[in-house]
Amino acid sequence: MQSPTPSTPFKRRSLFKGTALGALGAAGLPFAAACSDIESNNGSTQATEGFDFLPTHEDWPLPVQPDLVGEPPNHPSAFTSYPEPVQAITDLPSGTGSYELTVPCWGTPPAQDDPYFAAVSEAWGGTKVTLRQGDGMTYGDTAVQWVKADEYGDGIQLFNYMTGSFSNFQETVVNSFYDLTEIVQGDIAERWPLLAALPTDSWGQAVWSKDPDDPDTAGIYAIPMTYSGGQGNGILARTDLLEAEGLAMPTTVEELLEVSRAWTTDSRWAFVGLDWFIGQWFGLGGIDGWNWDPEQKKMVNNIERPEFTELMEFRRTLWDEGLMHPDAPTGTLDAAAMQEAGQVMFTQDNLVRWDDFNQKVKRGEAEGAVAPLPPLAAKGRTPIVTVSPGIAGWTFLNKSLSKEQVEEILDVANWCAAPYGTTERQLLEYGVEGTHFDFGADGNPVFSTPGVEIVKNPVNYKAFAQVDTFLTGDPDMVADRFEYNASIQQYIVEPPFQGIRIEAPAAAKAAGTTLWDQQQDIAFGRAELSSIPEMVETYLDNGGEEARQYYTDAYKAVYGEE
Amino acid sequence: MATLQSTAPPEAAPRPPVVRRKRTVRQRLRHDWPLLLLALPVVAHLMVFHYWPSAWNIIAFMDYSPYRPFWENPFVGVAWFGRLFNDPYFTPALLNTLKFAALNLLCMFPLSIVLALAMNSIISIKVRSAFQSVVYLPHFFSWVLVVTVFVQVLGADGLVSNWLLDAGGERLNFTSNPDSFLLLVWMQWAWKDAGWGMIIFLAALASINPSLYEAAASDGANRWRRMWHITLPGIRPVIILLLILQIGGILSVGFEQYQLQRQAVGYQATEVLDTYVYYQSIVGNQGESFGTAAGLFKGVIGLILILVANNIAHRFGEQGIYQKS
Repeated sequence: MQSPTPSTPFKRRSLFKGTALGALGAAGLPFAAACSDIESNNGSTQATEGFDFLPTHEDWPLPVQPDLVGEPPNHPSAFTSYPEPVQAITDLPSGTGSYELTVPCWGTPPAQDDPYFAAVSEAWGGTKVTLRQGDGMTYGDTAVQWVKADEYGDGIQLFNYMTGSFSNFQETVVNSFYDLTEIVQGDIAERWPLLAALPTDSWGQAVWSKDPDDPDTAGIYAIPMTYSGGQGNGILARTDLLEAEGLAMPTTVEELLEVSRAWTTDSRWAFVGLDWFIGQWFGLGGIDGWNWDPEQKKMVNNIERPEFTELMEFRRTLWDEGLMHPDAPTGTLDAAAMQEAGQVMFTQDNLVRWDDFNQKVKRGEAEGAVAPLPPLAAKGRTPIVTVSPGIAGWTFLNKSLSKEQVEEILDVANWCAAPYGTTERQLLEYGVEGTHFDFGADGNPVFSTPGVEIVKNPVNYKAFAQVDTFLTGDPDMVADRFEYNASIQQYIVEPPFQGIRIEAPAAAKAAGTTLWDQQQDIAFGRAELSSIPEMVETYLDNGGEEARQYYTDAYKAVYGEE
Repeated sequence: MATLQSTAPPEAAPRPPVVRRKRTVRQRLRHDWPLLLLALPVVAHLMVFHYWPSAWNIIAFMDYSPYRPFWENPFVGVAWFGRLFNDPYFTPALLNTLKFAALNLLCMFPLSIVLALAMNSIISIKVRSAFQSVVYLPHFFSWVLVVTVFVQVLGADGLVSNWLLDAGGERLNFTSNPDSFLLLVWMQWAWKDAGWGMIIFLAALASINPSLYEAAASDGANRWRRMWHITLPGIRPVIILLLILQIGGILSVGFEQYQLQRQAVGYQATEVLDTYVYYQSIVGNQGESFGTAAGLFKGVIGLILILVANNIAHRFGEQGIYQKS
């Protein structure tokens, strides 16, 4: 390498010194300026009811009545036979605009040139809404960047749980998305009768305030998704294998433990994962773990209660006794496939898989049967089933759209809100007859392979709100699910913060992330049960107490001083 | 017969000093434009993807929100750094990072050199090509694949565990054991990256004059002597250069490898600075300023380390990352 000559005018060493001095100088600038405390990300509380600017609710009479009548939203009504669909919207608007809507997609994104999209577009009046599919597994995190960079097209669908990825969702909403208040407030039944028929609570849950402390700055910033309730997740058991082994479906936590011990061998296990769902088996519910304790008159976190130790002891027993698959801590096992193969008895899952599994069996693609465990409790306590009725999420529109464009998209949303028993819903839900589905011998629609890939599985226009939802599909499955829902009603516990949306302070969220990691350490034998008090103390000292105060204030704001 | 003649040049008159005519900027542009054009994409890349983002480090001193005009974001001094250093999970993450960096420096760096020397000693071209492919191709595997392969082979329900069970033994507890995570990480590095690290040393080895080996061999130097006195001194500048660069990046030990194994091994064994920033700043929602403060901390420490290491190299007479002027 050639040496620089002494006369080299450019000395890199000098450059480093200069750079370092420059950096120090730049760093010093802020100190010279007046400094203040960190005030952002301190959480926000938003009432979601009691507004006078919401759309005036006007019932939209259902064209067909369900076969089984439940108690919505936690116990939805059901159709055990497919009704003759009627057209919900006869006066179609004519749309000419083209829009891009960002939606999550789990699995392979459907081809956009499929006849489904053309048929739907034509049916709702010509407006073209192209779906921009994002990977559902990482959607929440990447959506943060899309929204901040304004690279989500004309609208974006976000499910409730995804909002946790935003450091300050309230600030994001009021700064990034279209304020729909002027367009949808009051009587909208003439142009959008189906949107007017959505529950008022749905629209209330689409409200944010520019200034969380000033209710007068509140507005409607999204089109709400469907309002629903009941138990969405559960523990599915292979009932055929239980029966073959002469084991009974467990009805208590203790019985579950015994069944698990009887089932597990060197090559098959009771579980591959059991964590987020089972707090309720030990009476642990609440929002972010917080509940109001009327005896102590204070907000108490689940981890401070003795039942939490019971929960951790139970989880640790599963691990220590080898009832959990030894690679379960990796979190990479395909629990559904393993259950299907008979390697695993119980899976923690969405109850949609109950239907999926049994459909597979009917198609001859799998053998056996699954069913959810009933509500369980330990030590003779009464079981609880925690539910959270509300909307699943929102469709946010870009604030750069014009009023006319927003109205055109609302036309589409209104069309998509048509419920079961309408031709609109049939097209949305099942696609084009002969291409995506055909009617089976029992008169119910049966998906073809393209129907499953293009229409059934991906999130698409179905995610817009429906006026009402029902249990539908395979009659046997519908009847089983309806019966199950009926059986758990007596145990249902509503969340403590109805009518209010709370975004916890960032410090509490960060502490909660580590708290979960610490629980996993104990459950998988990497830390001792005796470390629970230390874990609780660390959490409370690093954001937990701040969260307690925050939730206490929110609770008192709703229920008053008790 | 030729006679010896003086080869001294005839005395010449002293040449007048060359007086370079000072060229104007326009003349220099006209003369150098092809070179400037070649450099333009690189300069543009550096400006857009390095210098401009670096300027945004200033938000580490602000209570920043992307929804406010930039200058309306209040300055908070070193408050974010205070929060960072007071966080009980920061120091363990820093210590873990240093632990993995030290392991990498001590065990991986020499391994690449040893592999390069071994490769260099293979004479058969076929064997050499096969060896090279086998050791460096894993570099192109993603960390997802590497971790999956390790779980499938060494996991509690993996290949080896099932052999052991069949033989009446017990399952391996290796891929989800925090106590052996350091060894696991080293094994993954060795498989994935040692071969890749070897390539640059191979290039340095190729630049050594073969006649030096021939001369040493004819003087009776054995293989080890030749390596000690010719090979290693020959590639020493490259070793030092890479060592300094590695020391500069000591706090950047990677992200995916640790994040992917976090569930299996637990956060205490796997938390490094990069995963800490992700979990606290993005998952934990502490915002852009907090993440930037953590990133700036890493950058400043890296700059200091690289300058110190370079200085030490100069003191020992080495060239370092630039020639001492």
